[in-house]
Amino acid sequence: MNMAWKEIKKSKAKFVILGSIIFLVSFLTFIISGLANGLSQDNAALIKNLPAGHFYMNEQANETYNMSKIDPSAQEKILQEHKDSAALSIQMGFVNDTEDKQHGVAFVTSTESPLFENVKPGEIVLDRSLEKDGIQVGDVLTNNQFSGEFKVIGFADQKKYSHSPVAFIHMDNYKEMYRVNTMQLLFIPGQDQPQTIDGLQSFSIKQFLNTIASYSAEQLSLNMIIWFLVAISGMLFAIFFYMMNVQKIGLYGILKAIGVKTSTLFRMMWAQMFFITAIALILSVALSQGFNTIAPEGMPFSLTMGTTLQLSILFVIIGFIGATLSGLQIRKVEPLQAIQQGDV
Amino acid sequence: MTSFTIQDVRKTFTNGEVEEQVLNGINLSQQQGEITALVGASGSGKSTLLTIAAGLQRASGGQIIFEGKNMTDMTQEEIRKIRASQFGFIFQSSHLVPFLTVEDQLMLMLNVSETKMSKRAQKEEVMKILKLVGMDHRKDAYPASLSGGEKQRVAIGRAIIHKPKMLFADEPTASLDSTRSKDVMTLIRKLTKELNITTLLVTHDEEMLSYADHVITMKDGLIIE
Repeated sequence: MNMAWKEIKKSKAKFVILGSIIFLVSFLTFIISGLANGLSQDNAALIKNLPAGHFYMNEQANETYNMSKIDPSAQEKILQEHKDSAALSIQMGFVNDTEDKQHGVAFVTSTESPLFENVKPGEIVLDRSLEKDGIQVGDVLTNNQFSGEFKVIGFADQKKYSHSPVAFIHMDNYKEMYRVNTMQLLFIPGQDQPQTIDGLQSFSIKQFLNTIASYSAEQLSLNMIIWFLVAISGMLFAIFFYMMNVQKIGLYGILKAIGVKTSTLFRMMWAQMFFITAIALILSVALSQGFNTIAPEGMPFSLTMGTTLQLSILFVIIGFIGATLSGLQIRKVEPLQAIQQGDV
Repeated sequence: MTSFTIQDVRKTFTNGEVEEQVLNGINLSQQQGEITALVGASGSGKSTLLTIAAGLQRASGGQIIFEGKNMTDMTQEEIRKIRASQFGFIFQSSHLVPFLTVEDQLMLMLNVSETKMSKRAQKEEVMKILKLVGMDHRKDAYPASLSGGEKQRVAIGRAIIHKPKMLFADEPTASLDSTRSKDVMTLIRKLTKELNITTLLVTHDEEMLSYADHVITMKDGLIIE
């Protein structure tokens, strides 16, 4: 006989209250996770979407890529050794469109590589978000640090850096604009372990992302909120089941007196926990995925089914631990204590 | 035939450095189909003796022999199995499970005792017992909607549904008025005789003693008559 289900049916209100709280907390966690992921994409899609590999920058750059200068001879040697590697530079700037409207961009230039958009001098490829701002293929863009003009030859998807759309330009144009003769970074894809190169410091993609000040600060805060919410939901389970168990001490004692196993009482509590969590999570997953599709266009929101499932599993585990910890008192219940009490 | 024997049972409670001897060597034998009533003033040790006999707490010394086996040597799990399958309990308050219907209270006991019966046979058995205790018309009711007497009838049904060999009743009529107390005691006596159960009950209501086959009076942890 399913006592767990019968209790839920008889005491709907208290289980609906717990379920609602779990639903709200999990929904909020999913939304914040979507925002964290969205902001992360918005901040560094250019880097995040690269294949696994390692970045290298000058040791004297103090882990700040725009202070890095790669020695041209070292660069040449690495590019020769690793055919699929690339040297690249990134600088924040802006372009003016045909109507002289300014658009903030992250200028990116690289040596010839399939990992980045390759353009000829005077050409530019932009992140697709600028297409929505009215820029079209064939438009001519200008920049006050550049003597010539950029002709838009295409758009690339998911190329953002530091919350700005990326503008891929040719190395010669970049060097003219920023009065430099060296590249800032080297990227070697497909390396499980970094290579030791004299004068250069290596960074995995994750390590490199953390050198971007805005990225690490942003993600740290959002991830902290997510973990707090997960911890809060675990505590909610523990507190709720603790209070419910305290109320039922007498009942547990009587059930033990008539021969019910302690493990049966635990299974009853776990079944209730799983049932409530499942309903709450199904609702919050459905709503958060719904929100994913209707989120306003400007809102950096990205919630994948994988992330949702991972968080859902985490909620179930946390709920299980919370309920089990609170349920430890069931083991201590003495049947005699319950019999000496009044009615349950 | 003797089915339940208590031999030289002693119980000592320790409170700090103070030791209190609650039972001072109790000897008692019970026959199948008989009701033995334990009476005595508060603190005489009758409830302690009942709970030790029922395996709800351990004795400090002595033996409790049930069907030839010494329960004082058994593990908690072995005692739990006996409580689930061979013992029935009626408490002072009915102590029914608040979220189960009358029918489910009895079904629960059949499950706990691991009775080998089909679901259908279990339901038929439950209805048979509910008729026996006069509660078949309230099978779908929850405890909150039952009167004190009705609750105690359901508790009696729960105590005997799995055909226990021993029935322990701790002040089963304490929360009932005189008429309902007599009804409940009549029922306990009837079931004890019909089902050949050995019943040990604690009461302080002298009117109820007429329903017992043997009356044992206790004082200061000893049987005095």
